[in-house]
Amino acid sequence: MKASDDLKQRVKSLIVRQLKLEIDPATIRDEAPLFGDASEGLGLDSIDALELVLGMEKEFGIKVQDEEVGVKAFASVDALCAFIRQKAA
Amino acid sequence: MRFEPLPHAYPFRFADRTVERTGPGAGRVRAVVSAGGRGVSGGIFPGALLGELMAQAALLVSGADPDLGRSGFLAGFSDLTVARPALPGDVLTIDIAVAGRMGPAVKFDASVRDAGGVRVASGSFTVRRGESAPEGRA
Repeated sequence: MKASDDLKQRVKSLIVRQLKLEIDPATIRDEAPLFGDASEGLGLDSIDALELVLGMEKEFGIKVQDEEVGVKAFASVDALCAFIRQKAA
Repeated sequence: MRFEPLPHAYPFRFADRTVERTGPGAGRVRAVVSAGGRGVSGGIFPGALLGELMAQAALLVSGADPDLGRSGFLAGFSDLTVARPALPGDVLTIDIAVAGRMGPAVKFDASVRDAGGVRVASGSFTVRRGESAPEGRA
């Protein structure tokens, strides 16, 4: 398994675990929007965003400083992985 | 005892006053459980109301934080452990700390101890600033 795939799986598992979602992490599409319309993606909201921020800090040691950064970073699994790689670089 | 302003009124006013503020949205609050009102049934202050007490305590200590403001609602508990129900006469100390913030959402950690310092309850909960809940949330 490639490192990028491994990171995506960790991120998807984190989303499911942190938000207590009753879905298989593998069903989350890499490019699907995490927030907004549930028919397009997961339909998360601001309360979920805060839980993800706390989960990111616990799992990856990465702090999301403000809402503007968070909105971009949490756009999708792909965006979240890019954000993590950027912070780790 | 001096009561600080809160939107909550008798018999749903549980937190009495701030003892100490240690930072934005963090501090210590005192509450005395009385036998009358306060949602007490059979003399017992049940666990769910201890959760409400924590939220009111967070609102009190957040009064000094202009970022948090006073308008908002309790969005939910991600964790609530009740060691014992509180009883009339209990003098409770509620310690509040901010676990994290993002946009309009603020998550608090809280613990409630009795006069002997023994933990009565603890929990984590999220408050969302603003007048209404996000779509799909009660």
